[in-house]
Amino acid sequence: MILTPAKLVFRTGLAGLLLLVVMAGCLLIGSQDISLQKVLQGPSIEGVPNSDYEILVGVRLPRIILAAIVGAALACSGVVFQAILRNPLADPYILGVSSGAGLGSIVAVLLGWTWTFWGLSALMVASFIGAMGTVWLVWSIGRVTGRVHVTGLLLAGVVVNALFSAVIMFLASIAGAKKFQTTMLWLMGSFAELDKMAPLLASGVVVVLGILFILMLGNHLNILSFGREDARSLGVSIERTCFLAFGCAALITSVAVSFSGLIGFVGLIVPHAVRLVAGPDHRQLIPLSALVGAAFLVIADAVARIVVAPAMLPVGVVTAMTGGPFFLILLIRYTKTIHWGQS
Amino acid sequence: MSFIKIHDVTFGYEHQPVLKALSLAVEKNSFWAIVGPNGSGKSTFLNLLSGQLKPQRGTIHIDDKPVASFSTRRLAGVLSMVRQEFVPVFGFSVRQAVMMARFYKRKTALFEESDDIEAVESALAATDTMAFADRPLRTLSGGERQRVFIARALAQETPILLLDEPTCHLDLKHQVRIFDLLRQMQVEQGKTVLLVTHDINLACQYCDRVLLLGADGTYFQGNPEDVLDSQRIEGVFHVKGYQGLVCREKFFIPLGNFSKDRPKE
Repeated sequence: MILTPAKLVFRTGLAGLLLLVVMAGCLLIGSQDISLQKVLQGPSIEGVPNSDYEILVGVRLPRIILAAIVGAALACSGVVFQAILRNPLADPYILGVSSGAGLGSIVAVLLGWTWTFWGLSALMVASFIGAMGTVWLVWSIGRVTGRVHVTGLLLAGVVVNALFSAVIMFLASIAGAKKFQTTMLWLMGSFAELDKMAPLLASGVVVVLGILFILMLGNHLNILSFGREDARSLGVSIERTCFLAFGCAALITSVAVSFSGLIGFVGLIVPHAVRLVAGPDHRQLIPLSALVGAAFLVIADAVARIVVAPAMLPVGVVTAMTGGPFFLILLIRYTKTIHWGQS
Repeated sequence: MSFIKIHDVTFGYEHQPVLKALSLAVEKNSFWAIVGPNGSGKSTFLNLLSGQLKPQRGTIHIDDKPVASFSTRRLAGVLSMVRQEFVPVFGFSVRQAVMMARFYKRKTALFEESDDIEAVESALAATDTMAFADRPLRTLSGGERQRVFIARALAQETPILLLDEPTCHLDLKHQVRIFDLLRQMQVEQGKTVLLVTHDINLACQYCDRVLLLGADGTYFQGNPEDVLDSQRIEGVFHVKGYQGLVCREKFFIPLGNFSKDRPKE
C-alpha cells in the first residue's frame, strides 16, 4: 500500500484523461448548438466569419480553461487547509480566505489600480495580500481561542468571512448602482467576464507552479496531520512548512478569486471525494484533487450556462447548492466520530 | 562521559513550578524509568529532553551538544518519541503511519526507498503489528495503536527512545512484550531508553536506573531496588503498601482503606 512513482503517475494520468474528456464534452454543449464539422473549417469560410468557430474558440474555450484553472486552485488549497488545520471541514471559502482575496480585489478596483505586468494584474496582487492577511488573521484568532483549536479556527473563519463579505457589500454599495450589479454577480462567482487569453495563460502558469510546490510538501502535510508535537519529533519544521503551504494556498486562491469571484465548497467537496477513493496520502491527494477539482468546476460551469439559458447562473450558485448539503452531512458525520480538537 | 547530560534544569508552568534544579547524567545504552505521582513533571521531563519545551534555567546536552542547537530534522535522527494521546483525523493506515518515521532521512525525495520499506517491515514484525498493517489507525484498539507508535519509533532508528506511558492501555501479555522489546532494543541495538510509567513493579524488573519525581520538585535517582523502597514510595505517593521479594523480583502492592488488608498506622 506504499505509494510508488509509477502508481502516482498512472493515477494522475488517469485523472488528467478524465479532465480532458470532461473539457472536450463541455466544449461541445451549450445554449447554442454548433457543428464540429463547421468549426474545423477555420475562423472564416470563404471570407464570411465562421460563427461556430468564434463561439467555440473565442468564447467557450477560454471560459472552460479558466474554470479548470480555478477549480484546480480551489481544490488544492482546500487540501492544504484541511491538512494543516487538521480538520476535514476546512476550505478557503469557509475560512474566509476567499472573501479576504475578494476584499483585496474590490479595493484594487475602487482605487483604480489597473496596471498589468506579464499578465499578472494589480487585481491579483491585491487579492493575494487580502488572502494572506486573512490566513494570518484567522490563524491568530484561532490561536487565542486555544492552542490552534480546530473549532476556534473554524468559528474565526466563519466570522471573518461574514465580516469581509459585509465590507465588500458596503464598498460595492457606495461605488454606485452599475458597479454594484457587477460586483454582486462577481461575489456569487462567475466566469462570464473574460475576453483575453494572455492573463489566462499567466495565471495558469502561476497556479500549476503553486500546485507543484505544494506537491513537494506532500510528505510534510501527511505528517502534520498527526499534530504539531508528533510532526516535530518526526523532523518536520512546523513554522516553515505552515508558512510555505499557506503562502502557496493563498497565492493560488487569490488568482482564482481575482478572476472568478467567490466560488464556495469546491475546496471542501473535491478533496473529500478524492480521499474516499484514493486514500489520505497527500502526495496523491494533491494532484488528483487539482485535476478532479478542475473537472468538477468545468461541469458546474456547463450546468450554469445551460440550466437557465439564454440567461446564465453564476457558477458559485451551482457549487453552493451542491456543496452546502454536502457540508452539513460531513459536519454531522464528523461531530459523531471525532472528538473535536485535543479531546 | 555521559550521553545525555541534564544540568540544573528548572521548569514550571504559569503558577506552578514542576522541576527544580534537576541534574542527571544518562549513560549510553541504559534503560531508565521515570516514575512519580500525577503532575510531578514526568511528561514535562520528556518534552524538555526532546526539545519541545525549553528549560527556564539550566542546560540539556546530548552527545555534548546542547539540544537547542539541533535542527528539527537532525533531532529526529537522535530521539524518537512515543506519546500518549492521538487524535485521528484522516484515514492513514498503520503502514503509512510507521513509514512517516523515515521522513527525516530523505532530503527532498517524495518517495520511499527500499531501505525505508525494509526498516518499516522489521519494525512492524518486532511489535507484532504486521497482522493489521493495512488497516486504518482509527479502527485499532488503544493497545494496538500504542504498539503501532512504538513501531514507528523503532523505524525512526534513533539512538535514544523516549516513551510516555507506553503500556498504559495494554493487557498483561502486551505489557511484558513491550518491556521485553525495549530491553531487546537496548541490548541488541545499543539504544538508550527512557520511559515514563506508573507501573513500579515492571520498572523494577526491567530498568537499570530510576528517576523518581516527587511533588515540589524533589527527585531521587539510582538503582530501582534502592530508589523504589517502600518507605520512599509511601512518602512520595502518599500510599501505604506491602513490599516483598519473590526470588529476585522486588514488588510493591498498594493498600487502601477498603482493601482486605488495611494499611497499618
